[in-house]
Amino acid sequence: MLQYVNVNIDGANIRTPRGTSVLDTAIENGICIPHLCHVSYLSDIGACRLCIVEHVINGRSNITTSCTLNVEEGMVILTNTERVQKLRRNIAELLVAQAPNSRAIQDMAVRCGVKEVRYPFRNDDCVLCGRCVRVCTEVWKAQAIGFVGRGKDRHVDYPFGIRPDFCKLCGSCVQLCPMTITPCDGPMKPGEERLCGKCEAQLIISEPTPGSCVWCKLGEGFGCGRYA
Amino acid sequence: MPSLNSIRELEHMRERLQEQRQNITTTVMVCGGTGCQASGSQAVISAIRDELSRQKVGPSVRLCVTGCHGFCEQGPVIIIEPGNIFYCSVSPEDAFEIVSQTLVQGEIIERLLYTDPVSGKKIQTELEIPFYQAQDRQLLSKNLLVDPCSIEDYIVTGGYSALTNVLNGMAPEEVINEVKSSGLRGRGGGGFPTGRKWSECREAPGDEKYVICNADEGDPGAYMDRCVLEGNPHLVLEGMMIGAWSIGAQKGYVYVRNEYPLAVKHSRIAVEQARELGLLGENILGSSFSFDVDIARGGGAFVCGESTALMDSLEGKIGEPKPKDVHTVVNGLYHKPTTLNNVETWANVPSIILNGSAWFASKGTRGSTGTKILALTGKIKNTGLVEVAMGTPIRKIVYDVGGGALNGKQIKAVQTGGPSGGCLPVDKFDLAVDFEELSEAGSMVGSGGMVVMDEESCMVDVAKYFLTFLQDESCGKCVPCRLGIDRMLEIITDITEGRGRPEQLDLLEELADTVSQTALCGLGKTAPNPVLSTLRYFRVEYEAHIKEKKCPAGVCKALITYSIDPNQCNGCGVCARACAYGAISGKKKQVYVIDSQLCQKCGICRSECKFNAIQVA
Repeated sequence: MLQYVNVNIDGANIRTPRGTSVLDTAIENGICIPHLCHVSYLSDIGACRLCIVEHVINGRSNITTSCTLNVEEGMVILTNTERVQKLRRNIAELLVAQAPNSRAIQDMAVRCGVKEVRYPFRNDDCVLCGRCVRVCTEVWKAQAIGFVGRGKDRHVDYPFGIRPDFCKLCGSCVQLCPMTITPCDGPMKPGEERLCGKCEAQLIISEPTPGSCVWCKLGEGFGCGRYA
Repeated sequence: MPSLNSIRELEHMRERLQEQRQNITTTVMVCGGTGCQASGSQAVISAIRDELSRQKVGPSVRLCVTGCHGFCEQGPVIIIEPGNIFYCSVSPEDAFEIVSQTLVQGEIIERLLYTDPVSGKKIQTELEIPFYQAQDRQLLSKNLLVDPCSIEDYIVTGGYSALTNVLNGMAPEEVINEVKSSGLRGRGGGGFPTGRKWSECREAPGDEKYVICNADEGDPGAYMDRCVLEGNPHLVLEGMMIGAWSIGAQKGYVYVRNEYPLAVKHSRIAVEQARELGLLGENILGSSFSFDVDIARGGGAFVCGESTALMDSLEGKIGEPKPKDVHTVVNGLYHKPTTLNNVETWANVPSIILNGSAWFASKGTRGSTGTKILALTGKIKNTGLVEVAMGTPIRKIVYDVGGGALNGKQIKAVQTGGPSGGCLPVDKFDLAVDFEELSEAGSMVGSGGMVVMDEESCMVDVAKYFLTFLQDESCGKCVPCRLGIDRMLEIITDITEGRGRPEQLDLLEELADTVSQTALCGLGKTAPNPVLSTLRYFRVEYEAHIKEKKCPAGVCKALITYSIDPNQCNGCGVCARACAYGAISGKKKQVYVIDSQLCQKCGICRSECKFNAIQVA
């Protein structure tokens, strides 16, 4: 039998099954928490740190990722305070500077309110969100790809760089990769240190209400859990 | 050795060993720690052993190869009891004299005594050396008494009596309360109250529990855990046994980094000896307590010192930190309740049980009790391992223990807490080594590294050094740590190479703040500390790099030029001969000149010149 707990997210009292994460609860109830590495049917690792929220305990607030935080009775969560928005914007800025040509990451950055990028662009494309590794490991139990290396050398690869037989080329990894979403016509060029602005049209709907989900097209871009 | 089946048998063994050792009149304690081995103590040990048998010195003289004494700079170090005679920088050739004069005739060899760099006087005994005088050595002094490879040595000096006290009628809650009221806090850096950790782990549901000793010490320049584990492994084991007994664990692991071969070797020997005596295994000393320890070697990742990463690594997975929304005391190794403590924390436990929590709490401050071992390095006269009571002001450590600056230079800052700690300027030297006080000032006690810097250290370059280290050692899992450190390093590299822009300082500060708040694990959360603390106390230096394109300390190569002061140069030509790039030219007895096109700014000329004629600007 499902047990329910009462949590308070952004002032709304929500009754939700025990064992769900704060992020899932928020998405289900129309509260917008931008996220990237979270996929509803995969385990959460808290790698992208975009879904950070303020968890208020005894008047002190801790910053933590909502995807790895499970709901508990009487929990108080603030998802879109100025502090959280600023931190989220800074993380999104780091990501978009790393992979400026990914539409998913651009959309996500725009949703997080990134207006300018203060770092020189790199075109690394992969932001190590780990969606591909987790779908291969958890859904197909294949472990055909995994993380290799540490720190700045970390990348996704086959074991020893050779495609193993148990990779059936199913393409699940490609499906989930934020780089494979069909780009729009205005991706950023290296050296052009600004967002293209075309997706900013979306902000007319989403910006006035940063904390609530308005089914913006941006979410479709970065694979928002609400579209899953 | 027969296995011990009761506490009484252990006490009998202790008495028997004490009787055997009564006729030993003289003990020669030679340091066999890693530091002294590097300066040749192995050769000294075998030379003394040969001399002892050649000169037919009887069994009344005992040679004891001990763990680290702390004064590694002066190694190899020998202490002779009785008399507490301290010889330093001993070479194998001195063995004949040491045996024939000091051991046989009781004469002191002047030449081998320690010279105080401050007063220039020879000092005969260890206790009179200022380096040791200002310390309060609770753990390190135990290193002197025992041969780490001998369980008998440990038992003779009262070892495992804390364990017998515990098994002999202390309730687990009593032990935990004792640790709680002692105020012992995690020595690995976090400073979490140890007693609270134990009681949470004891209360966690489940029968199968684990204890882990974290000896994966990786801070550059810090080696207190190595010294304790390789110098006195049984002390750590005893602490772990007491912890395991009170939380109800049956299995323990010592996770020691593989780069510490001596610590691995000694802890393995210690575990085997304890098993042989029945101090590890089923029904220890006839009680219902069963406990065993395994040694696991780390694979060389700094991040595996983080508790969740360490547990992943122990399980055979990639060592990566996990979110700690559920604590490891509930869900740790193999998803079982696990207590992980640092080497030094475990080593403090037996003396808390033996001497009582009040004794331990009497040292240190209210919030931070006991003593802490610090690795004192950098530009000061005395370097080595230093154990002081918590709450000792930094000034006392740097000037009294460390002896002050080298070559009459001015001390500028001290970096505490390893790569994730912060730099504190001289006007903060009255701060005490105390968990709260240092973190309020933007630094931390950390694992206990303490690097002293003088006027020749560039603080921007220091921040760059630590960021480079952390960038290499970050696991790369979460975005703020992987990309954040990378970008911070990018900005700081720009600043040190003269491409810095004023607005980058604000960006650097904002980014550092973001990383410290949002990173997944302790490594990421503390990684910006070197940047934040240097920005807070040495912003002037950053501004000089950016606005004037100058490095005030003369370190950042892109911003300095070497030149020869014509008034100082006497034309000796030493600099020209020393220069590997042929950048210095001139004639004998005339002023030499540096060709700035060819100069690689290596600084060799500056250190060779005896007349201070080479200038850096």
